[in-house]
Amino acid sequence: MSDAKFFQRGKIQELRLELNSDKKDRNYTRKKQTLKKIVANMTMGNDMSSLHPDVIACMSIPVLEVKKMVYLFLINYAKAKPEMAYEAIQTFRRDVEDPNPLIRALAIRTMGYIHVDKVTSCLIQPLRHCMRDQDPYVRKTAAVCVAKLFMQDRHLVENAGFIDLLREMLVDSNPSVVANAVAALTEISERSDHIQLQLNMSIASKLVTALNECSEWGQTYILESLMFVVPQEPGDAEMLAERIAPRLQHANSAVVLTAVKVIVYLMNYMSRDEDIQSMCKKLSPPLVTLLSSGPEVQYVGLRNILLVIQKHPEILKNDIKIFFCKYNDPIYVKMAKLEIMFRLASEHNVEQVLSELKEYATEVDVDFVRKAVRSIGRLAVKIESTAQRCVEALLELIQTKVNYVVQESIVVIKDIFRKYPNQYESIIGVLCENLDNLDEPEAKAAMIWIIGQYADRIENSDELLDDFLYTFLEETVEVQLALLTATVKLFIKRPTAGQDLVPKVLKWATEEVDNPDLRDRGYIYWRLLSTDVAAAKAVVLSEKPHISTETDNMDPVLLEELLLHIASLSAIYHKAPTTFIPHCKPRFLIPSPALRRQNYNVGRTLQHQDSYSSLHNTAQFQQGHNMQSGRSDEVDGGLDEFVSSSKQPQHQRLSYHEQSFEQVAEASIGNQEYYEQKMNAENPYRTDTAAVGGSQANKGGGVDLMSFDL
Amino acid sequence: MIESLFVLSPTGKVIIEKHWHELIPRRVVDYFNDQVSKAMAEGEDVTREDVLPIIASPKYQLINVYRDGLTYLSPVTKEVDPMMVFEFLHRIPDIMQEYFGQVSETVIKENFVTVYQLLEEMMDDGFPLTTEPNSLKEIVPAPNILNKVVNTLGATTSVSTRKMPHGMSNLPWRKAGVKYNSNEIFFDIVEEIDAIVDSTGKAVSCEAHGTIQTNSRLSGMPDLTLSFVNPRLVDDCSFHQSVRFNKWESDKVLSFVPPDGHFRLMSYRVNLPSQQNLPIQVKPSINIGANGAKFDVTVSLRNTDGKPVENVVLTLPLHKSTTTLTAQCNVGQYMFDPVGKVLRWDIGKIVPRERAPVLSGSFGFGSASSEAAANAGYNIGVEFLINSHSLSGLKVDVLKLFNESYKPYKGVRTMTKAGRYQVRA
Repeated sequence: MSDAKFFQRGKIQELRLELNSDKKDRNYTRKKQTLKKIVANMTMGNDMSSLHPDVIACMSIPVLEVKKMVYLFLINYAKAKPEMAYEAIQTFRRDVEDPNPLIRALAIRTMGYIHVDKVTSCLIQPLRHCMRDQDPYVRKTAAVCVAKLFMQDRHLVENAGFIDLLREMLVDSNPSVVANAVAALTEISERSDHIQLQLNMSIASKLVTALNECSEWGQTYILESLMFVVPQEPGDAEMLAERIAPRLQHANSAVVLTAVKVIVYLMNYMSRDEDIQSMCKKLSPPLVTLLSSGPEVQYVGLRNILLVIQKHPEILKNDIKIFFCKYNDPIYVKMAKLEIMFRLASEHNVEQVLSELKEYATEVDVDFVRKAVRSIGRLAVKIESTAQRCVEALLELIQTKVNYVVQESIVVIKDIFRKYPNQYESIIGVLCENLDNLDEPEAKAAMIWIIGQYADRIENSDELLDDFLYTFLEETVEVQLALLTATVKLFIKRPTAGQDLVPKVLKWATEEVDNPDLRDRGYIYWRLLSTDVAAAKAVVLSEKPHISTETDNMDPVLLEELLLHIASLSAIYHKAPTTFIPHCKPRFLIPSPALRRQNYNVGRTLQHQDSYSSLHNTAQFQQGHNMQSGRSDEVDGGLDEFVSSSKQPQHQRLSYHEQSFEQVAEASIGNQEYYEQKMNAENPYRTDTAAVGGSQANKGGGVDLMSFDL
Repeated sequence: MIESLFVLSPTGKVIIEKHWHELIPRRVVDYFNDQVSKAMAEGEDVTREDVLPIIASPKYQLINVYRDGLTYLSPVTKEVDPMMVFEFLHRIPDIMQEYFGQVSETVIKENFVTVYQLLEEMMDDGFPLTTEPNSLKEIVPAPNILNKVVNTLGATTSVSTRKMPHGMSNLPWRKAGVKYNSNEIFFDIVEEIDAIVDSTGKAVSCEAHGTIQTNSRLSGMPDLTLSFVNPRLVDDCSFHQSVRFNKWESDKVLSFVPPDGHFRLMSYRVNLPSQQNLPIQVKPSINIGANGAKFDVTVSLRNTDGKPVENVVLTLPLHKSTTTLTAQCNVGQYMFDPVGKVLRWDIGKIVPRERAPVLSGSFGFGSASSEAAANAGYNIGVEFLINSHSLSGLKVDVLKLFNESYKPYKGVRTMTKAGRYQVRA
């Protein structure tokens, strides 16, 4: 019987009559039909609530299908009309004691959905009963109901002993009941300020036993709860991981990924490297298999894989081929694959990777093509032996004259020049042929940087810069900064060629532009050039710090946190959950004697902090120091210290991310600034009186310099 | 946990709406529809399939699955396991398929009440509950012809007298008391080849995904053991929950009590060596000039054990600026879709040692052609299937039945077909 014909409006009276008709209705067939019509109308958004006395009267009919429809009706309208729920209370009371377990369970489940105080208070006693019901179906429904109740009234659940009852259920003889109790406890623990789930090894072991027998969803709940086990001995971690490993072979990708999460977590508590390695070997095949599922699952898999391989690079290191893109992959899958390909690229497979990237650069999707081109450049920076071939590939791409490809190529070629000075400058000529088509700030800035850097080798560098300067005032700050520095470089390298341009650009930078960075840099150059040209040369043409693709690596503290959130939204966005989900409990590795010392590579991070953060302000540098000490506390064991520092990673992340790949290329500028500020700091007022810019410059410079506060 | 579910029609209208926690206003659907159209307006080639499956909005994370024109949207406010949400969302059309034979806006509307009852059983408070079709059919009766007749005649339905759902038995996937007059079980081993092949015919990447689809029509509680001639070919595998994993680990046999009806017993993956002889070779050559290109494509058989390759279809998406196409082929027929800019060549069956199918011709770019058109790369999608052939070579050895005394009829079929198989030109 098609339900579609039930959707007719304005027949409430008719429906009421049908429902109350005293015609012979064997087996309630007529009533069932009428209720069906009412439910169908309700789901279409037609207001059926005025029928409630008649519908509730049907609750006494001892037919499950009828009850189900009445309950659907109640759930839908009780919120808006609490009095409707009051009328149903008596029947609820009867139903929770019905001999049929299905009806008992249904009654509990429905009451849990009705957020009306009076109903809730009537629920407490029967719910307690049902949690010890002889029928597992009722028990398992009751477990979920506690979680539901918790959402409505935390105190009630915490004070009425439900938590203890749930805890008892963890050792229930029926695996589905165990799974649901675990799910409810995890849910409550994640939301509650007072309750924190912690499982000891003996409970964990029982849970793992239940794991083998419960449904796929039950398995994810149990696996998830194992994140709350803190192994005290490496042996415990190994044993648990071993026992979970078969879940990696499950057909449900949620089970697989949650198992991956728990195993990666447990590896933190293992002592022997060979155990960790053997676990890593087990993780690769299931992760590969995830990629043969639908695009959504692939996407989640890829984002998580990107996290896992940063911590354990040996996983998937021989499987790069599965990340090669198919032309009809959805764009988001291609983008995610590309990032992993880049990360897995090594001396062994670089040839294949490069030929793939060249292939992708001819595709139609602009964003994907850009990313492919950019990856070619990053590949050159990452793996020296391939740099030559990457440069050739980029040159080929530039020849295509496809505008966005050309611009993207120039951006990355700048990085290649920085990484390998004096090797590939012969291609500058080709680059210069494409100046006219540059319209993106990043590409312009890159090209200008190249011109400035090689001002002495490019014959007409002064003309080229002059062309760019023509639109100086309309450019973005990024381009203006590049122009300013490049012009100064030109002047230092070829004074006669640059002498006309420098005053012009310095005057613009200091007088016509509102941006303080640009203005300050203008003043600094101006003073340097007018007081001590040798010093200016030392600063402006100083040796650049090395760039490497290591700066793409995620901040290790964030990575550690995200690894505890594999198979969650945070792992998709690569953002700590606390940053985008309200009232979210942060997770961290809880210290135990078995916890491996985390290899954060403190030295390197500190060095970065030193050279970059100090440019921004001292406070942040201080923050960096705090971070270091906060972190060692956490490793040594104090939980309190950890909690106090757990809010800090955000700062850390900020400062770290400022050094993302693109920006590091700018570090030549940063570094100059650093020197310049240092010089000023030694004698802060030395240049003030000598400033060339006149009184206005004096004023502006003085004020802005003070704010550096070194 | 899943908080709400919206099922949207192809035009973005709400067909089904269900809230397990707070009521999430329908505004969120408007926002979602806006985001989808915005994403699709980003480029000519962006299709609905390219829209991210997780979209962040100021208040909700919009997790969505697009299948057969319908969107299954679940807005969440809390941290969830997206993998679980996706698995669950996919389960909904799977189950509807099982119940109604097909899934569409009309079918859902025709079976509204059943769909709602199913959702009620499939999820409680955001926790997936019963998603095994076998158990569900026990709780929510499928609208089959018998039920319809019963309903119209007003005869007894068995719903009220049903006992426990089998969700709680020791074997949640199998109902008790199954009885058949003739006991039979069928296994379909289907292997799909995913491959990227370069223009010289070399496989850049290549793997086979196999599934063993099973149709069990056996009475009682049969306990089966299926063994393979060469189980070690398999690189990674996943099983239906009925399969005893330890037995596989130790003996490489599949030991299980099957659910009743259709189910996927096992999926597996086989990494193929890159020098693997693929069954079919596609040799494209495309010479692009400023205003268009000349092309020819030859298809030949390679390694098929002398079996014919059937349903061969090649698709060549052309650049968007393509306006004209002329071509000829010696086998099958070709079609150019001037709107989607896709050339489709339907070859049909290729028998070994017959002449190789060739398609050749030329296409031209319109006046608005650009450098991008002249430099674009081309890919050919290939579809085919070969009956009674398994690329990996996996073979069933024997099926043993325990716990029941009858002798069932056993059938095994194998088939190899193209999965995501593409050739670069």
